[in-house]
Amino acid sequence: MSELRCQGLAKSYRGRAVLRDVDLEVPAGTLTAILGASGSGKTTLLRAIIGFIELDAGTVSLDGHTVAEGDRVHVASDKRKIGYVAQEGALFPHLNAGENVGFGLARSERRRGARIDQALELVGLDGSYAERPAHELSGGEQRRVALARALAPRPGIVLLDEPFSGLDAALRVETREAVLHALQEEGTTALLVTHDQAEALSMGREVAVLREGRLAQRAAPTALYRTPADADVAQFVGQATILPGSARAGEVQCALGRLALANPGREGAVEVMIRPEQIEIVRAGAHGYGQGEGSGVGARVLDYAYFGADTVVRLALEEASPTVVLARTFEHQIPVPGEPVELAVRGAVVVFAPPAAGAGEPHADPLNRASDEPQASEP
Amino acid sequence: MSSTSAIVARRTERPEPARARRRLRLGGMPLALLLAAVLVALVVLLPVGVTIVQGLQGGVSAALNAIDASSPRTLLLHSFLVALVAAPLAGLLGVTAAWFIERTRLPGRRLWMLLAVVPLTMPLFVTSYAWATLGTLLQGFLGAAGIIAFSYYPIVFLLCAVSLRGMDPALEETARSLGLNARQTFFRVVVPQLRPALLGGMLLVVLDTLVEFDAFVALKYQTFTVHIYAQYELSFSASGAAALSFFSIVLCVLLLFAESRLRGGANYTRVSQGVRRPLTRYRLGRATVPVLLWFVAGAVISVGIPVGTLIYWFTQTSEAGLADASANVRYLWPATVTSVGLGIGGSLLALLYALPVALLVVRFRGRVSTVLERATYLTFALPDLVAAIALAYAASHYAPRLYGSLALLVLAESMLFVPFAVVAMRATLGQIEPALEDSARSLGAGPLRAFARVTMPLARPGMAAAGVLVFAFILGDLGTAQVLLPPNLYTLGTEFQANASTVAFAAAAPFAAVLVALAMLAAYVLMSRFGEVRALGDG
Repeated sequence: MSELRCQGLAKSYRGRAVLRDVDLEVPAGTLTAILGASGSGKTTLLRAIIGFIELDAGTVSLDGHTVAEGDRVHVASDKRKIGYVAQEGALFPHLNAGENVGFGLARSERRRGARIDQALELVGLDGSYAERPAHELSGGEQRRVALARALAPRPGIVLLDEPFSGLDAALRVETREAVLHALQEEGTTALLVTHDQAEALSMGREVAVLREGRLAQRAAPTALYRTPADADVAQFVGQATILPGSARAGEVQCALGRLALANPGREGAVEVMIRPEQIEIVRAGAHGYGQGEGSGVGARVLDYAYFGADTVVRLALEEASPTVVLARTFEHQIPVPGEPVELAVRGAVVVFAPPAAGAGEPHADPLNRASDEPQASEP
Repeated sequence: MSSTSAIVARRTERPEPARARRRLRLGGMPLALLLAAVLVALVVLLPVGVTIVQGLQGGVSAALNAIDASSPRTLLLHSFLVALVAAPLAGLLGVTAAWFIERTRLPGRRLWMLLAVVPLTMPLFVTSYAWATLGTLLQGFLGAAGIIAFSYYPIVFLLCAVSLRGMDPALEETARSLGLNARQTFFRVVVPQLRPALLGGMLLVVLDTLVEFDAFVALKYQTFTVHIYAQYELSFSASGAAALSFFSIVLCVLLLFAESRLRGGANYTRVSQGVRRPLTRYRLGRATVPVLLWFVAGAVISVGIPVGTLIYWFTQTSEAGLADASANVRYLWPATVTSVGLGIGGSLLALLYALPVALLVVRFRGRVSTVLERATYLTFALPDLVAAIALAYAASHYAPRLYGSLALLVLAESMLFVPFAVVAMRATLGQIEPALEDSARSLGAGPLRAFARVTMPLARPGMAAAGVLVFAFILGDLGTAQVLLPPNLYTLGTEFQANASTVAFAAAAPFAAVLVALAMLAAYVLMSRFGEVRALGDG
């Protein structure tokens, strides 16, 4: 296992900055997820670390050995000993699964075949897969073989580029577990690039949010979700309602009442971020709810998105009529649009500095869940 | 989600279309397309069938006598030796040119690309006269093998270049991340994937060697085809020549079979359909100068010799041959018109033949489509003279109105070069995702409409290249024209040949010059369009 350290990485194409001053540390033996929308520069970051592209500035070091430094040092990718799992696996079409896995091994080790079987086993495939041609493998199997191929030469670190994109939900979960298991078993450091919030939060020891080539925040998943650095990050890692408010002495006053602050210290005009699961719906007439502050804020159901386990309801506040908030409910009964309800807020909320004047309504339709669309090409 | 379930529900409620027409299919292939391809194969194979009939006309014993009298083993060995040397050499030249041009930062790539295509479009009879006049060193085996390799390596180059362009860069990157350097990556990842293109290109080189005539006569190298010609000229015995052609037919079938075995199931498409990045180009660094020298040497041999010789012929014009040349110039314009007209007519027809075959091979890969495709390759089994005689024979018996007409010549030329049209079309059509056609179909377009509105517009550059390739081959074809050209007409090729064969090179030079100019033009189109698909934003 190796420790990866990146400092001040910068890269631009034809005058357009794709990476700007990115610092990143991945402790040995851990997995860090890089989360970013398409075009955020995350694939470029990965490719710079592995050495497929040359940096304009910044250093990349593995266990203290510098492998890239600005435009002065550029160790070739084949000398860096960094494993790489390309999008969709990129299995060699002219080789079968076993030959793919053995590709990076020394000839003697390849012949013996023990490491190939071992690597296949790591990703949960038995030895019978070795003989299968690459194109006969299913999507999930292709990803597993690709990881086995990357792990076989025992690299200190593996970089995974959208390793689960294009897989259906169930297969995604299964493959994700197989990957985590294999990485853990080998104790390999890993850096995973994804645009999927749930994937990043559930897999990474740390999650780094990349936005327009800049690192917006790097934190443990819980910290990232509960105390995001700004409204954009908040909305990128999950759904959120952002309301204007006024903070004072550890509390904030907003359209949902007086709420406790999770990040006290800021005073005056602020933006209040409330996660949908913090807002509870109290049906009209159902009293005795909301022991704490802000109980009984009147609202009307606009519409909802049903996800099976939970339902996210969009509501318009009655008093401040244009204000729309999101509430997540696990109730069996789904609210009816138009129904008047009362809302209560649970737990402390996070506040940010208000947006600069003239920024207007910066936030997209909050009902849009993480989009699963395949990522468009990045330079 | 609620919205999708609503859509599903609506779809099941929708009644079945009233006039649901079942499209006829056979083994998963649309019947109409299959029939069209079969028809094309039959048309293209017509000369082969006629030749077999002709050869057996005098009875089996007469055929055997003709074969016996020609010491076929020595002659076949000669053809084989040339192919044995020329095909690998063409393969090497083609692959290296393709790799350096497509994947490195070689200076002057577009120029080298043009120079790597020109030899193919240059008429071989011009090139071979140029080689022959260089001296005795290039005559015989060395010249024969050399001229084949250097004239046909562009076909390997073009196929490999397309293949390289379509390769998933992630494969090479993955190999690099697994510790392979650039050279190892080339041999373990790039070359294996180039195998179909390389083998396909080399097969065409070998097949061409077997039926090549003009070049070997000029370079005084005795092969089977040369002997067939001699046989024909000596005795005017069509049946004797036809009987001898049995050999090349059998040989051709064997070669096609061997290549399909060698290639196996290797037809590598991308396993994954992920994001496509532009390919990175390697820096040549200190290797730049040696690589440039390699390219210069190749260009000097393949393009420098014929063009240089042509210039030399022109300088001769100023002295003794002046009268000769100027006397001939008045034939230049009509000859050009006939040649170009012939080329355009023949190539359009060849495109028409090739289309169903190429579509079938690209969209419905399998045994049937492969057999049909390779059946068109059997036109290579016949020296063009023999094919022309067969067609003349068939026309005189069954279509007297065609006999002696320009139409028959156009027909013959188009048949001869169908395989090249198929190869070029495949290279383009193979890059158009079936999903695009599927989308068109889902939007209510029938198969023909989907082809006309989606496939064809996308494939236009590649189709143009296929047509230009056939056009160039027709310009460079002599044997067919000599047999089938109506007596009052002449082409650039026949005029060149008439003068050059009497060593009146200065008089031949203007015709050669027009041919070379057209070849350059064709090469330019080929270089920029071969295997290309129109991309977003192209005009």
